[in-house]
Amino acid sequence: MVHNALSKQSAVGIDTTAIRIRESVIERRARFRGLAEPLSLLMALAVLIVVFSLLNERFLTTSNFQNVLTQSAIPLIVAVGATLVILLGSIDLSVEGVMGATGMTWILLSANSRGGVDLGPWAWVIALGVALVLGVASGLIFTALKVPSFIVTLGMWYVGLGIATMLYGTDLLPRLEDEGLKGWTSRISFGLPNSFWVALLVIGLGILVLRSTRIGRVTLAIGNSETIVRSAGLPAFRVKVAVFAIAALLSGLGGILATVQLDIGSPTVGSGVLFIVIPAVVIGGTHLGGGKGGILRTVLGVFLLTILNNGLILSGVESSYQSAVTGAILVAAIVFAAWSQRDRLRVAK
Amino acid sequence: MSLKNKRSVFRLAAFAAVATLALAGCTSTAGGVAAGSTGPIAKEDLVLVASVINTTNPYFIANIEGAKALSKKLDIPLEIIDSQGSSQTEISKIQAILAQGKKVVMFVNTVASSDTPTIVDAVKRAGGYVSIWWNKPDNFEPWDSGDNFVAFQKHPGVDSGRCNAKAIGDALGGKGNVIMFPGVQDSTTSQTRVAGFEAEMRENYPGIKILENQPSNWDPQLANQNAKDLIAKYGDEINGVWSADDGMQLGAIQAFDDAGLLDKVKFASDGLYPDTVELMKKGYGNNAIVGETFHRGYMASAIGLYTAYLAATGEIVPSELPKEKRTSFFDIKCVTPDTLDEYLKYDTPTAAADFVDKLVETGPWDTEPATLIGGGGPEVLPKP
Repeated sequence: MVHNALSKQSAVGIDTTAIRIRESVIERRARFRGLAEPLSLLMALAVLIVVFSLLNERFLTTSNFQNVLTQSAIPLIVAVGATLVILLGSIDLSVEGVMGATGMTWILLSANSRGGVDLGPWAWVIALGVALVLGVASGLIFTALKVPSFIVTLGMWYVGLGIATMLYGTDLLPRLEDEGLKGWTSRISFGLPNSFWVALLVIGLGILVLRSTRIGRVTLAIGNSETIVRSAGLPAFRVKVAVFAIAALLSGLGGILATVQLDIGSPTVGSGVLFIVIPAVVIGGTHLGGGKGGILRTVLGVFLLTILNNGLILSGVESSYQSAVTGAILVAAIVFAAWSQRDRLRVAK
Repeated sequence: MSLKNKRSVFRLAAFAAVATLALAGCTSTAGGVAAGSTGPIAKEDLVLVASVINTTNPYFIANIEGAKALSKKLDIPLEIIDSQGSSQTEISKIQAILAQGKKVVMFVNTVASSDTPTIVDAVKRAGGYVSIWWNKPDNFEPWDSGDNFVAFQKHPGVDSGRCNAKAIGDALGGKGNVIMFPGVQDSTTSQTRVAGFEAEMRENYPGIKILENQPSNWDPQLANQNAKDLIAKYGDEINGVWSADDGMQLGAIQAFDDAGLLDKVKFASDGLYPDTVELMKKGYGNNAIVGETFHRGYMASAIGLYTAYLAATGEIVPSELPKEKRTSFFDIKCVTPDTLDEYLKYDTPTAAADFVDKLVETGPWDTEPATLIGGGGPEVLPKP
């Protein structure tokens, strides 16, 4: 009936100019907002940098710049995976457990002070295999059994920690004995720390996957509307499992690098990373509901948080005030960065 | 059964499995109803329980080792509680064990000071006996709670901090700049060590300046990051680094090693972890570690459990003991690279069993190297 009425109206030639103008205004505004949000985040970052460098002249030195990059490298790597998962509209809480299990597997199979086997490159393969298994398990339980990702990955966090603790046993802390790898993460090549080069590579690959592959496109589509994706016959199931697997692999890589950085294996090698990564993704402007956002924005979010921590220590804010000050600046930065979006924030309930 | 039904049964089963897993972590059972008993208990009715903060820190692993050695020596079964760093987990697991009805002889390395009254109350109602190690509120003393709260025991933090300060002060020749990595900021253990360190520097090493302290939550990873930031901030102005435990010290050392500064900086900390022993033996980083305090987790748990055991079997009556045997401080030793060799014997594979043998022979207060050196009330902090 309605359809008939509409077609009858258009048949008599209704003027749609107003509608089209309205549409193009909405589109332009959306494009502006897409730019404005990262821009205001960049501005917030710039304000922080200016303030901190006024407070301490050592803040803006090459060595502190390299220090900040080293510290942001591992959260960046993990955050690329977390962004993909959040773009699906899901969440991955297992990162610290996966980091622990992978890091511990890796160091026990590499040259370490406990002795044992030294499998060299195979240690990497096996350790990342552990991460992959955990990721695929999360993905399968989430998709096949329809358990919310929040619960599945929370469980997987503890499974990972449990694996790490069992492997760790009651022996001495395993220390890295490979002289070539000791301190590798913070060593400088071509002006940047090695771990940051790895992070850049991961970010590049992440952007490539998101923009130019089917997995990336389907991920964004699932975040927008899974029903449409399914009815269009796209492989929602496989893509969801793949995204959780990628995220776990990246957490695993982060776990190995964190172990190299600390020089000792510890089941809790990832402690604190989750609470940098998830806020960084959200601060960057990726919607928790999925479908909107991107990896570069997350990069800005990670930098904002890392610089905030570093700057507060360098500017001599007393340690008992640091967490309160961090929180206050963070809220201010988000309000500022998300100002252009304030009417559309989906989480503001 | 139709496909749809099968699927929903499958889902239900999966849900049940997940729910069970989730609940397993937080089982909470009401404590036993029996009133606090004071009469001696037969050995066959006892079970030893050791509750530790986590099972990954070398110190807590040693706690378990000591409990196992005593369990073997006394021939009484042992249960271990892993609090997983959470007061809630700790208390609910303790209550679950009490609900099983056996009389417990318990050692608890409390997660937070404020857990102590709840744990003591639960153990008392179940008629068990408990010794608390390291953390309790200052105003909650064993003699106010009856015989079931047998003792509160620890190694004094002020002595530990002073010992480390001496080592760094001497190694730097009384001049230089020091940074500090305390543990969790509101932990009394960390606070007393910090107070001791600062007091010693103030009183005896006026040429040493404390640049800054960054609490690092007993977390090697966090200490590593904080050390990196402080290196960026102060660079080679830093001459000495103090950490409230060896775990954090390992993280800090790595940061200085990465920055190429290890050879010029001196470190001191608490605990003399076996890993630290290895580094000191090697003379790592131009003998970077100049001082440590020595105590062992297996000694703490064995002393705590054995004191509670003596109370349970009626061999001691807690209310008749002097106050320093209820709130007790046990000796810690000050170790330098020169005296390191004397302590290697405490890390042999039979060390825990050897210590337990001596402990049962000489009693909980007189066993070297952890003898009773004071107590009777909260640790007195030096005046600022």
